[in-house]
Amino acid sequence: MKILIIEDEKELASDIVKFLAEEDYRCETAGDFATAKEKVSLYQYDCILLDLMLPGGDGFEILAHLRSQNKQDGVIIISAKNTLEDKIKGLNIGADDYLAKPFHHSELAARIHSVIRRKQFDHLNLITQNEIRIDLLSKTVQIAENPIILTKKEYDLLLFFIGNKNRVLSKSALAEHLSGDLADMFDSHDFVYAHVKNLKKKLNEQNYGGYLKTIYGTGYKWGI
Amino acid sequence: MTKLLDKPFKAFTIYALIILLVSIPIYFLVVDWIWLTEIDDHHEIAMERIEDRFKEAYLSGQELDTILNSWNMLQPSSYIVPLTGTIARPDSIYEVTKYNKYEQESDRFRGLQTVIEIDRKYYLLNIETNVEEAYETIFAIGLVTVVLYGLLVFGFIQLNRKISKAVWKPFEITLSKLKSFDLSKNQEVTFEQTDIEEFDELNTTVSRLIAENIIAYNQQKAFVANASHELQTPIALLKSKLDLLLQDEKLNATQSELVNAIQIPLARLTRVNKNLLLLARIENSTYSDVEEVDFSEKVAKSEELLQDYLMEKLLTVKKIGHSICHFECSKFLAETLINNLLSNAIRHTTQNGEIIMEWSKNGFSFKNSGKEALSQDSLFKRFSISTTETTNSGLGLAIVKEICRQNGWEIRYRFENSFHNFSIAFQKF
Repeated sequence: MKILIIEDEKELASDIVKFLAEEDYRCETAGDFATAKEKVSLYQYDCILLDLMLPGGDGFEILAHLRSQNKQDGVIIISAKNTLEDKIKGLNIGADDYLAKPFHHSELAARIHSVIRRKQFDHLNLITQNEIRIDLLSKTVQIAENPIILTKKEYDLLLFFIGNKNRVLSKSALAEHLSGDLADMFDSHDFVYAHVKNLKKKLNEQNYGGYLKTIYGTGYKWGI
Repeated sequence: MTKLLDKPFKAFTIYALIILLVSIPIYFLVVDWIWLTEIDDHHEIAMERIEDRFKEAYLSGQELDTILNSWNMLQPSSYIVPLTGTIARPDSIYEVTKYNKYEQESDRFRGLQTVIEIDRKYYLLNIETNVEEAYETIFAIGLVTVVLYGLLVFGFIQLNRKISKAVWKPFEITLSKLKSFDLSKNQEVTFEQTDIEEFDELNTTVSRLIAENIIAYNQQKAFVANASHELQTPIALLKSKLDLLLQDEKLNATQSELVNAIQIPLARLTRVNKNLLLLARIENSTYSDVEEVDFSEKVAKSEELLQDYLMEKLLTVKKIGHSICHFECSKFLAETLINNLLSNAIRHTTQNGEIIMEWSKNGFSFKNSGKEALSQDSLFKRFSISTTETTNSGLGLAIVKEICRQNGWEIRYRFENSFHNFSIAFQKF
């Protein structure tokens, strides 16, 4: 899997590279408009992370350029300009997702997962991990052929965990994933415990592999 | 409070009253003096004339007696009688009040008594003239004065009204413009030309003051926007580094707890910065994505988004729709407003509390149970501390207020029956 990170803030770009390195992604970075444009013209990527404000030009132009060449690379806009207009504009030009800065890397990883999944036509609707099978179209989960009924939040959490396997996920990252922008209006995210607890219980009832672990004082980890 | 022109008006009226009151005795004295002097002069002349005429007539003693008899019988205002005894008496002027049978009342008379010599005999000549009574004079003068005073005051009032209307007009215009001036509306204020120096000076000064204020306000706004914009990258990096740190397997329990503890103030910093940016954006933008918003629909959506937080605190939510609540608003602003008000209510309600949302066609309100009223003055200001809770970004209500201002709505806070009540009216309360 090839990922291009178009981000002028070098530190942030290298952090993303580090965070994603554990998965089988090959990350490249572009720090300015010209480099970015050159790379997207020459190569094909599974996912492009696109910052909108770049030295030398506007990120939207790269997106427009990409789509005008009929390239179907997945694009996630990562921007500090968290305005509705930009979001709508980006999605209209052909971005697959829009993530406002600052974000948790785990959230980004989950979004990349989801974008890449959508671009791969062969197992478009199915995620399989050992005994767990998730049908993305019908939003149903089976463990060793036995269906389990999850609430929407539990289902979201499960996908988030699987998209971030072997990573420690903080409570605030989980809360932000569940509540979006509204999460940062609150300091207490204790409801996350309840959802995780319920999810764990339902998974345990069907004797899954016990991947979901609580990391004391920090959060959770889906360890494989 | 008295009006500016009423102050001199009052003083003028009182001054005029005093002067006119004082003038009454003065007029009387002057008129009376002129009158009496004239009468005395007249008596003097009459006396000399009588004396001269008798001398020139060369009457015999008998003739004189006959004439004097008929004189004394026919002359109404004088008599001449022969003097016996001492003749060394001076001229005397006297005043006497006696009954006037023709007017059936007592009248004042001014008289002159003198001794004249006719044919080497001495006679006493007495001339009297009816003078107007003192009280009658005073009454007449008083009456005239009162009428004049009335005219004067009436004139003052009319002039005052006319002057205040004409002269103060530029001032009134300036005042009404200043009253409607709103710094945050970014509007220019121009004053009309006036030919009155003081008002012109006032207008110039006020214009300059406003212009300076607008510049300072804009600079301050730009500063806040720039500062929060510049803060975004460091905040993003901090968050990113913490995420990476959390993945470090060598991290022990104490260290991960520390990392988690850092996340909390960082989240707060993120929130404050995000809200500052949002506030600056709302202040500076015009929203064109106006659509018809159904309040109950938006509130249901917001409630669903915040469901976890409602459940966490075991809050009871009551929704009362008196009638359908539709309004025109930018979708983004409407959602921000409702989310802010609801999350504000959730944050400030204690465990097992209650939140009531009410709406009608004129507006909507959010109520949440609480212990004591919040400070009205600082409630909607940025970073004002109305409770001891620290989770507040201090900007939620400032954003709410700004959205209301953009839409021309009015927001009001009340505390009643142990409920904080934030109500928004589409028209003025």
